Amino acid sequence: MISIFFENFSMAFSSVLSNKTRSLLTALGIIIGVFSVTLMGTLISGLDRSFEGSMSMLGRDILYISRYEWFGDQEWWEVRNRPRMKIEYVNKIKNKSRYALAVAPVMQRGAELSSKEDNIRTEIFGTNIDYIKTISADIKEGRFFSNSDDRKGRRVTVVGHGIKDVFFKGKNPIGENIKIDGEKFRIIGVLEKQGKFLGLFSVDNQAIIPQGAYMRLFSRRGWTRLSVKVPEQKIEEAKDEIYSIMRQIRGLKPNQKDDFAINQTKAFEKQYNSIKIAIAGTGFFITMLSLVVGGIGIMNIMFVSVTERTREIGVRKAIGATKNMILSQFLMEAITICLAAGIIGLIFAYIISLIINNFFPSTMPLGLSILAVLMSIIVGVVSGIIPSYKAANLDPIDSLRYE
Amino acid sequence: MSLINLQNIYKIYHVGGEEVRALDGVDISIFENEYLAIMGPSGSGKSTLMNMIGCLDTPTTGVYEFENEMVHIMDDKQLASIRNRKIGFVFQTFNLLPKATAQHNVEIPLVYANIPKTERLQMSKKALASVGLEDRMLHKPNELSGGQRQRVAIARALVNNPSIILADEPTGNLDSKSGKEIMGIFDSLYNEGHTIIMVTHEDDIASHAQRTVKLFDGKITEDSKTNIK
Repeated sequence: MISIFFENFSMAFSSVLSNKTRSLLTALGIIIGVFSVTLMGTLISGLDRSFEGSMSMLGRDILYISRYEWFGDQEWWEVRNRPRMKIEYVNKIKNKSRYALAVAPVMQRGAELSSKEDNIRTEIFGTNIDYIKTISADIKEGRFFSNSDDRKGRRVTVVGHGIKDVFFKGKNPIGENIKIDGEKFRIIGVLEKQGKFLGLFSVDNQAIIPQGAYMRLFSRRGWTRLSVKVPEQKIEEAKDEIYSIMRQIRGLKPNQKDDFAINQTKAFEKQYNSIKIAIAGTGFFITMLSLVVGGIGIMNIMFVSVTERTREIGVRKAIGATKNMILSQFLMEAITICLAAGIIGLIFAYIISLIINNFFPSTMPLGLSILAVLMSIIVGVVSGIIPSYKAANLDPIDSLRYE
Repeated sequence: MSLINLQNIYKIYHVGGEEVRALDGVDISIFENEYLAIMGPSGSGKSTLMNMIGCLDTPTTGVYEFENEMVHIMDDKQLASIRNRKIGFVFQTFNLLPKATAQHNVEIPLVYANIPKTERLQMSKKALASVGLEDRMLHKPNELSGGQRQRVAIARALVNNPSIILADEPTGNLDSKSGKEIMGIFDSLYNEGHTIIMVTHEDDIASHAQRTVKLFDGKITEDSKTNIK
C-alpha cells in the first residue's frame, strides 16, 4: 500500500504542477480561507496579550469611582451635571467600608513639564499616599511621597520612567528639580516602566504630586476620581458595599438615580470581548465562506480532471488498479491542491503577522496554524470525494473507448 | 490443461428496449503458448470477447475459468488483481500516460502489484530492454515515435510476467514499417513461450498467429484449431 501511496502522491504532485495556473486559481479560495483564519488568530492573540497587560495596569482589584461610566450609554449632559468627586469622600469611604484597603483621590490635568531647555506636555496627578497601592507600577528609584509630604503639601513629585529618559537621559534624577507649569518640584521617586495602555498611549510620562500641592498650585476643581483598592476575590461584594456608601454620602433617596459611577476592569473586559467576538466572527465568516467557495472550485476542477483523464483511468484499471486505488489517486490530488493552498495561505499569513508585529506584539498561534492546515485537508477530502468516487466507478471498457 | 476456458458465454445488452447479444453462446479454450488471432467484422463481438478474456467485462451467463480460477463470479477487486498479475494489455492507441516517462509507464502495473521501488526499477528496465528501448527509458511518450510508443506499451504488458498478452489491433495506428517491427516482437515473444491473443481485422496480421478464431454476430463461426466451420 505504501508504494501506491507514494505513487499517488507523486502523480498528484506532477498533475498539480503541470496545471500550475489552473491549480493556483482553484486553490485561491482555500488560500484566502487559511490566510484569514490564521491572521485573525494572530490578531486576537496580539490583542489578548496587549489587553492582558493593560488590564493588569488598571488592576483587577481596583474600583474607580467617578462621574462617568467608562462604557456608559448615558447622555453626556446628564453626566456632566452630576456633582464632582470630593476629597472628603476618601475618609468617609475608609471609615465605612469593610473592604477598602486603600482609597486614593486622583485629580488629573494636563500640564507642561520642563527642565532647562527640555519640555513636554503630559498629565499630572494630585493624590495621596494610598495612590501607590492602587497602581500596578512599583517605585523603581527613590521613594513615594510620605504622609507628611502630603499633609504639608510639599513640592515633591514622583515621575514616570519616560520623564527620566527624556529629561535626564537615563541618569539618576532623584533630588533634581523639574518645573510643572512653571512651578518648581523636586523629584523624589521614579516609577518602573509600564509601556502603553491598550497600545494607545504611554503611561510612562506622568508626574504624581501630593494632593495638597496640587490643590494649592493648580486647581481645587478639576477632574477627580477615587481609586479604591479592595481584595480581588471580594470585588463584587466590595462594589456593592461602596455603592451604598456612595449613595449615602450623596444623600440619594431610594427613588433617585445614581449620580456617580463605579468602574472596574470588567467593563473593559466586556467591551473587549465584544470586539474580540466581532473580529473572530468576521474572520470565521470569511474563512467559512472562502473554504466553501474554494471547496466547490476544487470539486469542479476535480470533475474536469476526471473527465479529462477518463482514458487514463481506463488504462489504469486495465493494468490492475482497483476502485480504491483510483479513488485514492484522485482524492490525493484534491488533498494535494488543498494542502499546498493551506501552506501558501499560512506563509502569507506569517509574512503579514511579522508586519503586524511591528505595531503591536503578536504571534501566529501554532495550534490554529495546524488546525488551518488540517481544515484545508478536510476541504480536500470533502470536495474530492465525489469526483474521485465517480472516477473509481467508471467502467473500464467505456473509459478505454473515451475520446 | 487449458489456460483459459470459456463455456457457453453470453453477453446480452439491452439497448432501447431491444436485446443485443454481443456474445451468443461462445465456447473456447485457449492453451499455453498459443498465438491466437480473433477476427471478425465490426459488431461481430470480437471486442466484447476480448474484454471478457481480459477480465474487463463479466459475462451475463456462462463460465469463465482462467488457470482454474472462476472469473465469472469474481468481484471488482479480484478482477483487478487478475488483470494485474495475469494479463498484459496492448492497445491500438498505445494508451501510455502522457506525463510519465517510458520507464514510469512500464512501472505502473508493478505499483499496483505493490512491488518495492528498487525491484520495480530493475523489472521495468529489463522489460524495456527486451523491446529494445533501453536507451529511451527517460523519454516521455511525446518524445517517442509511434512504433516506440507501442514497444513501451508491450514492455508494460510484459513487465508483470503475465500468463497472456492481449493485443487489440496493435498495429492499427502504425505505419507498415513500424507495424512489421511490432509484429516481429510479438512473434519472438511467442517463440519465447508467451501466450498471445490478438484482435485484428487484417488478414496479414492474423497470418502471424498459429490459430485463428472468426466471430460473426456474437458466435464463433470458424476456429482453425477445432476446425469449426
